[in-house]
Amino acid sequence: MALVRKAYDDLERRTLSGMPGDFARLIYLASTRDYNSGMYHHEGLAARYGIEQAREALQTAHREIFRGLVSLPLEQLVAELERYVRNSHEAPVGFIHAWQELEPYRVAVPMEVDSTMVQLFLSNVRLALEILRFRQEKSQACQPASSLQPLLGR
Amino acid sequence: MNPSLALAAAAVFAIVLLLLRTGDPEPADRATDGPSKSGAIPDQLEATALAERIFSREDQEFVARLQSRRLQQLYLEERRRVAVHWVRRTSEDVSGIMRKHRLSSRQSTNLNAATEAKLFWQFVELKFLCGVLQLLARVSGPHVLVNLAAHTGTLYQRIGQALPQINAVDGTAS
Repeated sequence: MALVRKAYDDLERRTLSGMPGDFARLIYLASTRDYNSGMYHHEGLAARYGIEQAREALQTAHREIFRGLVSLPLEQLVAELERYVRNSHEAPVGFIHAWQELEPYRVAVPMEVDSTMVQLFLSNVRLALEILRFRQEKSQACQPASSLQPLLGR
Repeated sequence: MNPSLALAAAAVFAIVLLLLRTGDPEPADRATDGPSKSGAIPDQLEATALAERIFSREDQEFVARLQSRRLQQLYLEERRRVAVHWVRRTSEDVSGIMRKHRLSSRQSTNLNAATEAKLFWQFVELKFLCGVLQLLARVSGPHVLVNLAAHTGTLYQRIGQALPQINAVDGTAS
């Protein structure tokens, strides 16, 4: 148990704290999980603390970040998502479109969490994306036509 | 009591129960129903915080400030869907817990009739409230239900907390 705690602290200190926002942390932690087995893996953590301990630390961190995002008011969730979009270095229009079409955030949900929490998260992300799109359209409508070219071209 | 009033009350009760039994979860709900920890009582903070988030006025006001009819409509649809899901799960979870309790009570040698009756009444009240909530969430949207939802969440927790104590006294394991 102490080793899991150490692995968790290590993960937080070295990796998660350097990430810009909880959405980035959520996506990162989900990416350490195998699609087929649902098992988490992190080479560095496993080497230092053991495979099982690293797995448990990743799983715990994933659930905590997820829980934090679910408990955010919608306005703050929109701000978190906006921050994530900004840091992705993708064109916001393309990013929002891809997320609305493919719904990749579904894969970011941890296993064995309350299904209402999952429903609320998915629903809030859908809303947040729609709000960002609305703001995007509004700001584009306010800009002169020539300034839209770089955004639309990407 | 006026017979027609009693009949109307019975009809409403029957509709509510029928809704709880036959209401089909929406397709989006099914995808995530599998791994949920149905049957487990979430910790107090989680259950209360979740209900507060779903029925939050803060979110509604935020969307209203955006002054977009489309967004407000989408928001209400999304919240209604989550609210209906929450009510259904609460109702199903508490039914599962009561089923387990009933089974374990059969082996009990030391049942307290008053406690059991109180628990049963709370259960009936909760099921009824869930039915009303579900009906109202479908008809008028989730935000008129804030107080009712909070009361339902409290009842749910009360049943979840009472059962281990009762089982410990009865000498049964659920």
